Amino acid sequence: MPIMPRSIAAALAALALLSASAAAQQGGAQGPTNPRMLPDVSAVGDLVADLSPKGSTQPDLSRFAVREVEVALQAVVDPYFRGDVFLGFSDAEGASIEQAFLTTTALPGGLQARLGRFLMPFGKQNTTHRHDLHTVEYPYIIQRFFGSEGLKGTGATLSDVFAPFGFYQEFMVSVTDRAGERAEGLTPAAPANRNLDGLGYSARLRNYWDISEATNIEVSGSAITSLREQPLALPAGAASGDVNAVNVRQSVFAGDVTFRWRPLQQGLYKSLILQAEVMHQANDIPSVVPPLGRPGPGASAPPLAYAGPTSGYTGGYVFGRWQLSRRLYAGARYDALQDPEAEGARFTAGSALLEWYPSEFSKLIAQYERTSPSGGPALDRILLQASFAIGPHKPHPF
Amino acid sequence: MLARLFATAALLVGIAAGDAGAQLKVVTSTSDLYDIARSVGGDRIKASHIGEGFQDPHFIEAKPSFVIQLRNADVWAFVGLDLEIGWMPLLLDGARNQKIMMGGPGYLDVSKVVPVIDVPRGTVDRSQGDVHPLGNPHYWLDPENGRRIARLFRDKFSELDPKNAATYTANEQAFEDRLNAAEKGWQADLAAIKGKPVVAWHTSWRYFAEYTGMDIVAYMEPKPGVPPSPSQLMAVVAAVKRTGAKVIIMEPFYDRKLADVVARETGVQVLILPPSVGGTPAAADYVKLMQYDIAQVAKAVK
Ligand SMILES: [Zn+2]
Repeated sequence: MPIMPRSIAAALAALALLSASAAAQQGGAQGPTNPRMLPDVSAVGDLVADLSPKGSTQPDLSRFAVREVEVALQAVVDPYFRGDVFLGFSDAEGASIEQAFLTTTALPGGLQARLGRFLMPFGKQNTTHRHDLHTVEYPYIIQRFFGSEGLKGTGATLSDVFAPFGFYQEFMVSVTDRAGERAEGLTPAAPANRNLDGLGYSARLRNYWDISEATNIEVSGSAITSLREQPLALPAGAASGDVNAVNVRQSVFAGDVTFRWRPLQQGLYKSLILQAEVMHQANDIPSVVPPLGRPGPGASAPPLAYAGPTSGYTGGYVFGRWQLSRRLYAGARYDALQDPEAEGARFTAGSALLEWYPSEFSKLIAQYERTSPSGGPALDRILLQASFAIGPHKPHPF
Repeated sequence: MLARLFATAALLVGIAAGDAGAQLKVVTSTSDLYDIARSVGGDRIKASHIGEGFQDPHFIEAKPSFVIQLRNADVWAFVGLDLEIGWMPLLLDGARNQKIMMGGPGYLDVSKVVPVIDVPRGTVDRSQGDVHPLGNPHYWLDPENGRRIARLFRDKFSELDPKNAATYTANEQAFEDRLNAAEKGWQADLAAIKGKPVVAWHTSWRYFAEYTGMDIVAYMEPKPGVPPSPSQLMAVVAAVKRTGAKVIIMEPFYDRKLADVVARETGVQVLILPPSVGGTPAAADYVKLMQYDIAQVAKAVK
């Protein structure tokens, strides 16, 4: 939810005060290191430059942009919960609650519940913050199905870790208010979540094996379903505020494989990741299209034509990253999908990149990409990214 | 789906309950803590470790298979002082085992019983490199700290498993006896090392230097955790020439090419020394590790 820039400034000032007092309380060697129990305060800056030869390919046509600043506040809440708040600040969206969730720490039997807004446990790369990716942007299948910032959900997740067959398995189920962003300007006769079957439901099963000391593989599957607002074709002269959308079931099924190699002794210098992910989006076609009129009962007019997707879309990507030296990696990704934004026309993209970590806390990516929509001209993109993290040392995502 | 989750939960609770009274399950972050825990626990505990002795303990990957190892642990013993900060939180979070979470009876921060050196004074920030803001965590390379670790395990195991307390006490004493005997044997080596200038890669040899009296005159890393830069190599070459240092001590997980550059320039010996149990086959347990490292350094500086 965008808010005014003044509120952004106020929020940042409050955070600055908070971190200043966090700094002030350090230095006591005796006693607890955090007697005032302040949360960990950290920030990530995500800067992007677009040097594409035929002009910027960013939504706002910028050549240089602060894509996002993310501020995180994290602490244990009480003996039962941990709390995590991630606030996002960007020119496009103003301030927004990127994530805010409670995580249980005391459920029995290896169960963990999460309540709030979070990156949906769906697919592989979607569960990684965009600034932690090894590419500048999410793979196209995630961008086209869920948006450029990936799929988030507001609701609850329950997960369980088990190993009945001797290898790691994790099962996650979620129920969320909705699946995916609400498209602007679509007004259905009733909210998609009016009945329980309109909420977002998802599940993910992870399977992980150590092949050897140095190699391992994860093979996982995910599914999500919900009602989504889809457009209706309005006749000329329809008033704004009229019903112009219908709630239709949309489901996405996904499978992903990640292979990793990192020798234990040379692990500072050598590693390889190979990753592939496939997704299929299934779209129901509504049997009843509501008549023209304002939301609510009593409308009686001829039915409208359905203008939403009438078929399913499939796509995926393969990604690889090879470590060249202690700080430098080379990566490549190939994307192929039936583009939902072009009625399923084939869309492919290939990219190659260098990823350089001056330290654990800063990262630079230089990426060349060529996108090839079917029927359209190919487009060359040159993207640069710099991101940095300040605040307490955080664990490295696996 | 929910039925499946609840069935699994019930199964896990059942397994946990059925295990009461069996061996203590002890998981340690490093092979050194593992070896000392095994010496103290003997056959009354079932021990395992996450990191290998030839692996950089700062950069262990939080593999999900480690989560399975930690899920049913009674004790999680770790070096502390943020050595494991890059991976331990993910494993503990994934394991969801109340016994070994902070505040739980099995959460064992071993650094709590060790006198910590190199605690930074004043303000720290990362312009100083990847500093260990709570002090130097590489404390196990001093046998006095080895004894402190063993006594901590004795006390913790006795607290969690009081009926075997006498065994833990006897095992701990046997460990100290073995270490004391070995220590007598390496006194001549210590005398040879005392005061001798050496170069080290990382600050990981600071406790070892305090114990042996070797004088670390330069580090290959310009700042902790920062790979050697050309100007640092020049500074190291100058320090070697100035002090007459005969050896560069480095762990097996660093790339020795840059140390070889200094060696070619100055004739200094590059000594790859295991910082942990299992870092080389000869360092098969904690006492042998200390013995091996002291003997190797003594030989190199003579
Ligand atoms: Zn260190």
